[in-house]
Amino acid sequence: MKTFEEKWTAWIDDQLTGRELEEFEASLPDKEAAQAEKRSAKQLGSLLREQMAPVLNNAEFFSHQLRERLDREDRQPAARPVSTTGWWTVRRLLWSGATALAIFVICAVVVIHNKPSSDQSEYLTQILNYRVDPAVSPNATITMFEKKDEHVTVLWVDGLQSLPPEYATK
Amino acid sequence: MLLIAIFAIALSSSVATRGDQTVWSGIVIASNSGPPEPTPAELTPLETTLRQLFGYTRLHLIGEARKTLKSGQEDWLATTKYFALRVDARGQKDGAYVLNLKLLQENKVLLETDAQLSKASPLVIRGPQIGDGQLVIVLMMQ
Repeated sequence: MKTFEEKWTAWIDDQLTGRELEEFEASLPDKEAAQAEKRSAKQLGSLLREQMAPVLNNAEFFSHQLRERLDREDRQPAARPVSTTGWWTVRRLLWSGATALAIFVICAVVVIHNKPSSDQSEYLTQILNYRVDPAVSPNATITMFEKKDEHVTVLWVDGLQSLPPEYATK
Repeated sequence: MLLIAIFAIALSSSVATRGDQTVWSGIVIASNSGPPEPTPAELTPLETTLRQLFGYTRLHLIGEARKTLKSGQEDWLATTKYFALRVDARGQKDGAYVLNLKLLQENKVLLETDAQLSKASPLVIRGPQIGDGQLVIVLMMQ
């Protein structure tokens, strides 16, 4: 059951309809005065809406939009799901880099140690020079050759003085 | 940890390739006379080659020396009653050891040579004729 004040407010706001409206207007002692008060209240309401409503000029509108956008951006990182950061986290990047470096170093070491030498000396012994004392062995001649199948290098000395069998003792 | 592992692999690989080498040097009489005897173990890999080179069937070891090279600057002597082989190592070059060799008969230098001895390649030197045999010098890395 509405009180008179409630019905009055509803009547001012044109919220009463039908039988309820008829009963309320019939109950008014001075309908003309009530109608005048209603018009006055509506005018006051219109005036207040006009005066109190926010009026945004261009600068304020821009500032408002900017603040809205900053607020949105501040809220976004917290709201962003972890999965959107991707697989390449800093930690994974570091591990990947270190692993790649390790593989490179191991390959480099293996390649360096397996590199075939361009020098034949790695496979065959080489004679760099040779000499005999002409005073001791005036007829000596020296030749050098390699038996490549057996990987043997031979220094063949001819013309040394022959010695008796006793020189073969230990 | 990863870097430590890398350095360990690199270091072990490096150390493995720099292992100490032993040089065996022998003074041998090759002949066809005398009682048959087994070829010395050190000469077994070269037995066929030596027989083909000199035409002798009997290889008799009369002096030997074995030296492990660490610094590559070592020297040593293989001796018999009348001969001596003096070896003076003079460092490494291209993975081989540079050796100065002197074959001495008592106090006389019969032969001097500088050789670059490789790991898988023995050096054979033909010396003077002795009786009905031949003096042979052999150097090899083991």
